[in-house]
Amino acid sequence: MANRPNVSLSRRRFSGAVAGAATASVFAPFHLRAAAKSPAKRKRVALITTIVRKFSHGQHFVDRLLEGYGWHGRHHESPLELVSLYVEQFPETDTSRERSKRHGVRLCPTIADALTLGTSRLAVDGVLIIGEHGDYPRDAKGQPLYPRFRFFKDVVKTFERTNATVPVFQDKHFAMDWREAQETYRDAQRLGFPLMAGSSLPVTWRIPAIEVPLGTPLVESVGVGYGHHGYYDIHTIETAQCMSERRAGGETGVKSVQAFKNEAVWKLLAERESTRRLCLAALNRSQTLKPAPGRTFAEPSIEHLQRVSPFAVAYVFEHLDGFRTTIFHFNGTGTAFSRDTAALNDFTYAGLTQSGDVLSTLMFLPMPPTMSTLASFFSPLVNHIERMVLTGQTSWPIERNYLTTGMTLFAVDSLYAAGAKLETPDLRIRYQPTPGPHFWLG
Amino acid sequence: MKPLRQLAFVLEDFALQTPAQQLLDRFLFGYRRNGGFHKLDGVRISIARAGDLQSPPAAALLQTRVNEANLQLADLPAAVRDADALVIVPRADSTAPSEAQVTAVLTHAKRGAPCFVFGALAENLAAARTFATLAAGRQITLAAGTFLPVTWRLPQVDLPTNAPVDEALIVVQGPSALAELHALDGLLPLLERRAGGERGVRQVKYLSGRELWRAGDRREWSWPLLSAALSRSDSPQGDAIVDGRTQDLVGLGLVPKLATNPRGWLLEHTDGVRTALLALDGVVADCNFAVRLRDGSEVSAQLFRAPAPAEEHFSPLAAAVEDFFRTGELPWPASRGLLTAGLLGACRQAAARPGTWLSTPELVSR
Repeated sequence: MANRPNVSLSRRRFSGAVAGAATASVFAPFHLRAAAKSPAKRKRVALITTIVRKFSHGQHFVDRLLEGYGWHGRHHESPLELVSLYVEQFPETDTSRERSKRHGVRLCPTIADALTLGTSRLAVDGVLIIGEHGDYPRDAKGQPLYPRFRFFKDVVKTFERTNATVPVFQDKHFAMDWREAQETYRDAQRLGFPLMAGSSLPVTWRIPAIEVPLGTPLVESVGVGYGHHGYYDIHTIETAQCMSERRAGGETGVKSVQAFKNEAVWKLLAERESTRRLCLAALNRSQTLKPAPGRTFAEPSIEHLQRVSPFAVAYVFEHLDGFRTTIFHFNGTGTAFSRDTAALNDFTYAGLTQSGDVLSTLMFLPMPPTMSTLASFFSPLVNHIERMVLTGQTSWPIERNYLTTGMTLFAVDSLYAAGAKLETPDLRIRYQPTPGPHFWLG
Repeated sequence: MKPLRQLAFVLEDFALQTPAQQLLDRFLFGYRRNGGFHKLDGVRISIARAGDLQSPPAAALLQTRVNEANLQLADLPAAVRDADALVIVPRADSTAPSEAQVTAVLTHAKRGAPCFVFGALAENLAAARTFATLAAGRQITLAAGTFLPVTWRLPQVDLPTNAPVDEALIVVQGPSALAELHALDGLLPLLERRAGGERGVRQVKYLSGRELWRAGDRREWSWPLLSAALSRSDSPQGDAIVDGRTQDLVGLGLVPKLATNPRGWLLEHTDGVRTALLALDGVVADCNFAVRLRDGSEVSAQLFRAPAPAEEHFSPLAAAVEDFFRTGELPWPASRGLLTAGLLGACRQAAARPGTWLSTPELVSR
């Protein structure tokens, strides 16, 4: 009998072949556990988003839930059933209607309807809020006014009205306003539902595939990336924070934030030897640092950075235990951010231990359309969401995202205030990391 | 450690983003290694070029390097005569340097100087053996290969040492014979770790078009292994390009629809292990493998090609080559180079008689 798969047979046919992936299982205990326990009736989720079009965050999450994704050496079908979609904007390039029709997903007029499926009760087992992309104004500080908080509050109102809650995932940081972020955290605490959030950076591939051992005596972290403030800050901040939180004693919170721009960045690098050392160590993991003309790669140096990236931004975070995090964005030669003119297109990390050792890695994003046709780094994020909905447990503490939301928002405030140093008593957010590793290993 | 004072590069090309440029520049300017930027201080580099193979822009770029790094540009005998180590890099569209170049290098090089050939040592076993004999006669240690054996894998897996392998498959793209070279250089380093090591290949069969899919249906190669390999891809073609969707390319029956000029080489190894080298243009645009062990478990990964223009996968290759030069120890078994050359020839011969097993007794280890 031919064993070429067809549409109707493929999934059953291959299940036996992949079930014994012993080598992969070393790296994939969660995945195998989830697969083994996949109930006949899948848990149901609603997805609330701003827009679904090619390469929007909404599309990445929707398609992984509906179409599956490559995971640990097989095409993984989600154990979650996407039953409803609330989409706010429908451009000509919208794909939500086609996906809704082809997969029988209810396209809902309101968030409440997506959560109740037209009943008076909460009718889903989990909610994804993907408030990224779409046509939204910016605030005075240049941050996009994506309606994450409004979406979240509609979800909370439905929880309150139905007197029931389910796990919620919030893409990236909570909100563009600190009071809204505080309310988000407090609502989740008050109602007691699992809330997970964040960027894909902490969970994507690492090159090399290293983790900071729990309890490492780290004294300083540096994250290096690129991007417009308010959009990409969270990625670089979480690149660093997912490593920093593993230091001896865990996270103690942040007491001050200060932004630097252009000349002030070079002055900062000149004055702080350890930060300069870590910045260059991180850049030695970069695979995209812009080279000089006629070259294909560059040796990282401050002089080279000044040539290829006069447009630079840095954020310095002083933690309550004396730890320091510095984030650099080397945005290239323009005066406004553009990916095409940025001095690099990746996110790297370096951390310094008390004994002077440096740990460094690249958090690798195979970014479409230049490096891939898929944004595969969403796959581990979706997999963590699946685990949260299946188990009711978040993979990492929500306090990480509460803190990184605040770090992001206060950093932009400082940038907007011409680099004023801001005391941040609200960011005395203390937490312990979960063991992990949470990044893509298998 | 051997002294490395002078290094000779024999280049057939030097355009930006060619293997020649990526390798030479790393030895000239340094490269990323172990979290730092490593430079070869105090090493003089001489260059010999195959002039009639150079394009004008490549020649201009090479002249720029000569000027800025004070390189010595010489004819081949003069360039290699005093070198402590040698690198030969063919044109980007070639699997191996011209036989005349390799012969000349091995003839004129200093006795005992290690020599690295980017790509295959030769395009057939007879030539490879001739080079090996010539090199051995002059105590020259000879290694050949691409970046695929040393690049990062996503995930960073390897075949467990002495693993009992049942079957393996790799997906590549591109024209023959580069596709076969990439497939072999991607897969053989994994397979040689299996129980008993690599003992050669006893027959090879070429299939294309519908016959390739039918062979899969007949279980001559494994659709489930293809599914495992493709699950590691970041670059599925077709609908993913249209609207970004993730898809089960094998499960949805899309592979035969997407593939343009699909080609496959089936290898039966001496120990019974079966290998499929699939050149599937139009399906994915990256290099992915899957290996099934006898207990049914699988190992699969993407062989990572880092983004242009830096193509950082040349850095781990530069590190392997530099270590080879400094220690004199081969970065991988010399027999792999001979087998690769022999298989390139066998794949070419098999392609002339599609669907027929080509017996390859010369590729069986004794």
